Amino acid sequence: MELSEITRIVLTTLGGAMLITLFGLVFGLIYKGIDRKIAAHMQGRIGPPLKQPFLDVRKLFVKENIVPENAVDWVFNLAPLIGLVSCITILLYLPIGGFPAIMDGVMYGKGDLILILYLLIIPSLAMVIGGFSSGSPYATVGAQREMATMIAYEFPLAIIIISLAWRLSLVADVTNVFSLATISSVPLWGLIGPIGFIGLVILLFTLFLVTPAELSKIPFDSPEAETEIADGLMVEYSGRNLAMFYLTDGVKTVVMGTLIIALFFPYNLSPILGLTSYSAMAADIMFYLVKLFLVILFSVTLIRVSVARLKIDQVVYTYWVPLTLLGLVGLICLMWDQTIMTQFNIPPIIELLGLG
Amino acid sequence: MNFIDLIMSHAPALLVVIPLLGAFLTPLISKINDKIRNIFVISILGITAVFVLLVAQQVLDTGTITYVFGSSLQTQNNTVIRILFEIDALSIFMALVSIILAFVASIYSWGFLENETGQDKYYTLLLLMTAGMLGMVLTGDLFNFFVFIEITSIASAALIAFWTNRVKAVEAGFKYIFISTIGALFILFALALLYGQYDALNIAQLADRITFTYLDKIALIIFISALAMKGGIVPMHMWVPDAYGRAPASASLVLVAATQASLYGVFRVLFTLYGNVIHLPNISFGWILVILGLITMLVGVIMAMIQTDFKRLIAYGAVAELGYIFLGVGTGLTIIANPDIGISSAPFAVEAMKGSIFHIINDALDVGLLFMIAGAVYYATKETSLNSLGGLARNMKYTTIFFIIGLLAISGIPPMNGFASKLLIYESTYQLNPIISIIAILSSIMLLAVFVKIFQSVFLGPKLKKFDDVKEVPKSMLIAMGIVASIIIFFGLFPDLIVSNLVEPAVNALIHPENYLQGLTGGL
Amino acid sequence: MISIDELFNTFNTGNGFWNPVLWLIAFVIIFLIIYIIRGFGNNSYKKGTGQTQVFLSGNPESDFESMHVKSSNLYWGWTESMKWIIDALKSIHTGNVSDYVLWFVIVMGVLFLFVGLI
Repeated sequence: MELSEITRIVLTTLGGAMLITLFGLVFGLIYKGIDRKIAAHMQGRIGPPLKQPFLDVRKLFVKENIVPENAVDWVFNLAPLIGLVSCITILLYLPIGGFPAIMDGVMYGKGDLILILYLLIIPSLAMVIGGFSSGSPYATVGAQREMATMIAYEFPLAIIIISLAWRLSLVADVTNVFSLATISSVPLWGLIGPIGFIGLVILLFTLFLVTPAELSKIPFDSPEAETEIADGLMVEYSGRNLAMFYLTDGVKTVVMGTLIIALFFPYNLSPILGLTSYSAMAADIMFYLVKLFLVILFSVTLIRVSVARLKIDQVVYTYWVPLTLLGLVGLICLMWDQTIMTQFNIPPIIELLGLG
Repeated sequence: MNFIDLIMSHAPALLVVIPLLGAFLTPLISKINDKIRNIFVISILGITAVFVLLVAQQVLDTGTITYVFGSSLQTQNNTVIRILFEIDALSIFMALVSIILAFVASIYSWGFLENETGQDKYYTLLLLMTAGMLGMVLTGDLFNFFVFIEITSIASAALIAFWTNRVKAVEAGFKYIFISTIGALFILFALALLYGQYDALNIAQLADRITFTYLDKIALIIFISALAMKGGIVPMHMWVPDAYGRAPASASLVLVAATQASLYGVFRVLFTLYGNVIHLPNISFGWILVILGLITMLVGVIMAMIQTDFKRLIAYGAVAELGYIFLGVGTGLTIIANPDIGISSAPFAVEAMKGSIFHIINDALDVGLLFMIAGAVYYATKETSLNSLGGLARNMKYTTIFFIIGLLAISGIPPMNGFASKLLIYESTYQLNPIISIIAILSSIMLLAVFVKIFQSVFLGPKLKKFDDVKEVPKSMLIAMGIVASIIIFFGLFPDLIVSNLVEPAVNALIHPENYLQGLTGGL
Repeated sequence: MISIDELFNTFNTGNGFWNPVLWLIAFVIIFLIIYIIRGFGNNSYKKGTGQTQVFLSGNPESDFESMHVKSSNLYWGWTESMKWIIDALKSIHTGNVSDYVLWFVIVMGVLFLFVGLI
């Protein structure tokens, strides 16, 4: 590798990082607005305008940035920043729209599914550490709940991710099964038999239920629980530090949505419509945004409006017992599918339905 | 032959001889001055470290080195009768782990034990333990292995009970020596079983002759369970929190290396000693290692979750980390021992073993760093109970930063070294069975929770009045922590460099026992 | 010796990959961007006033010592719902050295059983 090559990488990273930051922040806030609007309509309210999240951030930037005297100031100030930044870096590894090529040769193909799983921990970890560093009992209680929630949902999440990769490594003749490029170029739906299809649906359903906890949304928002511990781990945050957490929430929603899309719905519109060049890009981006909207609608908005908050020990129980078992059922379906398909020579479901 | 060549040709022996002689000189030098003694010990370990690096260079360049003590290799009735060291890439890798920790511990001890009495004995034991550990990983002779185990155990037990005025430290020392002696005696029994049958004690020669008789099976099981007990594998881990928790922090650091030398014993026995016959048993020993590894991770991490003592908590965390090492090696062994599959058609087995071997050094560094931080907090506050600590991030800024590094590293958060090795393990073991990777990921998240708990209760939270005048620890301790923290970050940022240059040769040494045998038969 | 491009190597695991250096570069760049954005925010607050006191729903602030949540109270939700595992594990850890040896014997016995020697 020559110096010019390294310069190229650094420059591409610089450009890509700027673009992706802009994308993450803006669309995070837009989808937040949409989510609030729909939730309001479901509750029979008019709801805030779509640009309300932008106004909220602007308001927070004007407000005072209070550091409580009990807090460890450098940890307190750094935690929101690290959380937001690491959350944005995840977007670099995700295929957005039809654009695996935005960072082609630089970031894309330099990180895989497990890395994303771990990078997703960092924003939550930053919130936990920020909460702990506030030195307030409410924040500490909230932060430890967030940590317990993390342990809880990571079990089914690990099952989903490993099952997908494992099944892919068996059916498709590909290397790097953990790479998102591989996963989205060879969608599992077209490769598995009927039982595997059921297993995959179960895993998708589990992932939809993991998402609200990953994003600290009702019914798994006991770390923030406004009514009992007054916004929990963020109780001492204000001004621009709170704005960082606010933005992190938005970006994380986009990240989780994009991840679900990349794992389960990696289809693009342009090959079907036969579009090329810029019109293809535009169609794919629009289609991606619609998919993102649907995923957020089903995994965040509908769930958070229709159910009530769980207690923290119920959260742990829900994830470690029913949802883990559900995930394992999905895994077992995928395992049986493999045996049945090879033994009885059943074609993939897509051929059975005459779509392939 | 000039002087340097002469030294280099005896370098393998010097690796053990230098710390051993240093150990005997230490009490004498203590008579002069404390400072000179500390410098002496640090430089002895420094010189040993240099020799480890030189030998490592030689081994990685030319392959297995056989060093015969006394004279050239002699045989009687076709049996090797000399004591010899046989150093392959795995041995030297383990030696590197041991010497890094021992060297760092000697720097750390300077500040940590400043005001303690009995330092001359402490340093003597430290050097003795280092000599024992290096001997364990370098020797090519089973009886010699037993002798070095005993040297290490006795020195460790004395170090654990260093604070003899504290009942619990003495109790921990007693427990350790009890467990070690039983383990070592069983090992002696097992090697007697082999010696009685094959008339040889040399590992390479035994590996050549072994036929997997009834007695060999007994010997194998005894070797595995005794060495696993000395390594702290669940359910034989209960001495670990006692010993690690009560020893001075600098001694806990070296104990981590000692337990890993025992794990090295497990791998050496399975892959080299029984390497030619490992496909014969009716059950897979690989799966036994994997299951032990899974239990170790889960039990270790759940027990760590409910601890309230700083060092006991880290000790349980260290137990959980050992599980990862067993997972990958077990996965590799399952494939190797299965003649139907074979290693060439299952490349993930090699990757899994790379992950495990890489994790040995990562685990040693991460746990070592955390123990040093526990020691630093104890040094500054004289407290180890998590319930009575709090708010130290204000007084001990550097220690806090080092702790954050250790926290991220041990729970495998990118971009630290723990992530690199765990990534290798997750992305390979799932092909043996998806459940293995799932539980491995789960335990690493729980490890994160466990260490975040320490972060909250020791470093964060409101300022406590009783810790108002707590100051940052002395420079020597910060330097020691800094060295380990920078190695952690270096390994984390350049994992490919380490894996391809250090870890891969070590894994190849395990997978291809024939190279080990050739080191000897060349001389026969 | 090690050349520069070796440092940029992607760490390949056979089934995935990870390039820490590039991630770090991206992290630093995004950090700077966000840091600049954050810099537009208001940075002031009134030190030493009631503002900096901990929010306790209007209850008077007690002394610092009693406001620190102790470590044994952390992760209540998890310990509560996993009580049965924890209690079982606690009862195994007796701290009695003869039990330690007993476990050694048990493990050895189980292995003997598996290998078919007994």
